[in-house]
Amino acid sequence: MEEALLRAVLFGTPLLLAGLGALLSERGGVVNLGVEGMMALSALVAFAVGLKVHPALGVLAGMGVGALLGLFLGVFAVSLRANQFVAGLALAALGLGASGLLGKRYEGVPLPNPLPEGILAALALALAFGLHLLFSRSRFGLYLRSVGENPKAADLFGVSVDGVRYLALALGGGMIGLAGAYLSLAYRPSWTDGMTAGLGWVAIALVILAAWQPLRAIFGAYLFGLLFFLQFRLQGSVPIPSEAFAAMPYLLVILVLALSGRARAPKALGQPFDRGR
Amino acid sequence: MRRILGFLLLALGLAWAQGDKLKACFIYVGPIGDAGWTYAHDVGRKKAEAALPWLETRYVESVPEAQALPVIDRFVREGCQVIFATSFGYMEAVLEGAKKYPNVIFAHATGIKRAPNVATYMADFYQVYYLNGLAAGALSKTGKVGYVAAFPIPEVKRHINAFTLGVRAVNPKAQVLVRWINAWYDPAKAREATEALLAQGADVFAFTEDTPTVIQTAAKKGAYSFGHYTPMLKFAPDHVVSGQIVHWDVIYMDFLKKVKEGVYTPKNLEKVDYFWLLEHKAVEMGADYGVPINPKHVPLLQKAQMTVGGRKVSVHDRIMALLKDMQSPKPTFDPFTGPIQDRKGVLRIPAGKKATLEELLTMEWAAPGVVGDWPGEPK
Repeated sequence: MEEALLRAVLFGTPLLLAGLGALLSERGGVVNLGVEGMMALSALVAFAVGLKVHPALGVLAGMGVGALLGLFLGVFAVSLRANQFVAGLALAALGLGASGLLGKRYEGVPLPNPLPEGILAALALALAFGLHLLFSRSRFGLYLRSVGENPKAADLFGVSVDGVRYLALALGGGMIGLAGAYLSLAYRPSWTDGMTAGLGWVAIALVILAAWQPLRAIFGAYLFGLLFFLQFRLQGSVPIPSEAFAAMPYLLVILVLALSGRARAPKALGQPFDRGR
Repeated sequence: MRRILGFLLLALGLAWAQGDKLKACFIYVGPIGDAGWTYAHDVGRKKAEAALPWLETRYVESVPEAQALPVIDRFVREGCQVIFATSFGYMEAVLEGAKKYPNVIFAHATGIKRAPNVATYMADFYQVYYLNGLAAGALSKTGKVGYVAAFPIPEVKRHINAFTLGVRAVNPKAQVLVRWINAWYDPAKAREATEALLAQGADVFAFTEDTPTVIQTAAKKGAYSFGHYTPMLKFAPDHVVSGQIVHWDVIYMDFLKKVKEGVYTPKNLEKVDYFWLLEHKAVEMGADYGVPINPKHVPLLQKAQMTVGGRKVSVHDRIMALLKDMQSPKPTFDPFTGPIQDRKGVLRIPAGKKATLEELLTMEWAAPGVVGDWPGEPK
């Protein structure tokens, strides 16, 4: 039982971090479908810096790359008012491709001094609570929510819609970068092309499952982690085929989504803001 | 004038040199990555290209099975004379492409269907798995050996069975706990499957997945493991005991040389099937190239005893003797020699008989000692 809870937390941590990152920008009205690619590229940079310099600096480098990629997405999704879904998908592909190309020489290299997973897991938990306070108690949180719900009104009150969105993308990107760094420096201390293996997409689903609430994201991420572990723990000891276990986390998401029909997305989600219109 | 003539000659020479090269092209199912299936094929391709001056190669990686035919079209347009398709799932695309381009030679790894211009090939590990199983059986203190498995297909089942037969030859009470991850490449699933097996008491690990994740995870808890596909010693130098290592270049070079010499043509491949084992040097038992057993674990295996034909022998000596035998041109030992019953008690290989190639390629039964879900298990 303890083992299962530990696994739930340790596997849930990258999901939680990436999910919080996506959630942050979505609360500001920008959909980020680039998570998978952002995680992959920051995992690579974190690993490279971690190997050559120090794993702690690798974490910072990963977060930096994530933040930069968030700003990069902002150029298209905020300033150029491109379709956010298309821009995000392009970023996902770009990040995966670039990391595969640039990462060739780090493949097959073990990391001699990996980071303890526990510290990063605790940090992720703290970030979730921090984000909750940020949304509910801070001025920036108020601005962010108003930009996500009604950018026109926020603009009238003198809030820089684009500025808030850029900041949200950068901060969120940093968290997604941290998720990547966790993968390559702690969870699986090495680098391989495609090592995110779909976690970024699950993180995007997690945002919806969490109904855009950071505290619910903790619950959702750990639930995923628990199911993920249990599918291998229970396999063979109960008369359910292994393929059904593999589908379990996703079936659960569908179930929860169906039951939590009332969860409401930020009103301006996915809509580029254009002052002139 | 002389200069122009010189250039002309040079250009002609270059064109001739270019035209003289045999162009072989590879379709990879995954990213080349740091280890595993596609990486190993790419190592083979590079070695062949380095060794054969008349060879030119090209590859496309991460080709989904449905996209194989367009890649074949492209390769043929680019002048590929030999196309290697390296995933079972490319079978239909290869056969279709072979019909479309009757003058191109195709070779399909792990394939079971051939045509006049389609050969099949495979470097198989079942003997190596048996030898690794002997070591695993000797090293496990709990009697529980973990196996993180990709997909429940005959190839993987054959390997698990051979491994389990080895484990039980040393420790007849041992169990091999199998967990399917239903993926060739998924480090997160491999990690959590390993954690689940550790939680159930497994203390030695083998696996089929394309990353060293199982090794890294097992080593953290002090559990022994066996590398898969490529040398993985560096990922856990104290815990990797041995492993399976492939040498696709041996097959690629043999095949391409025979194409170059005209032995293989687009008309005579119907019966060409490589199923190459230790004796052909297409596979190797080892923690690293040339290191059959990690020297750190040799004393342990020398101390461990097993009974062979009523006599006590050290497990280490038994492994080395069998390895030598199976590497010889005329091996006398085969792991799948009867009598072998499956875990339900059905006799699968009669006494004194060796499993046929057909039986090996279609193996669905589970050996005694295998514990866990086994999709497709015969009644």
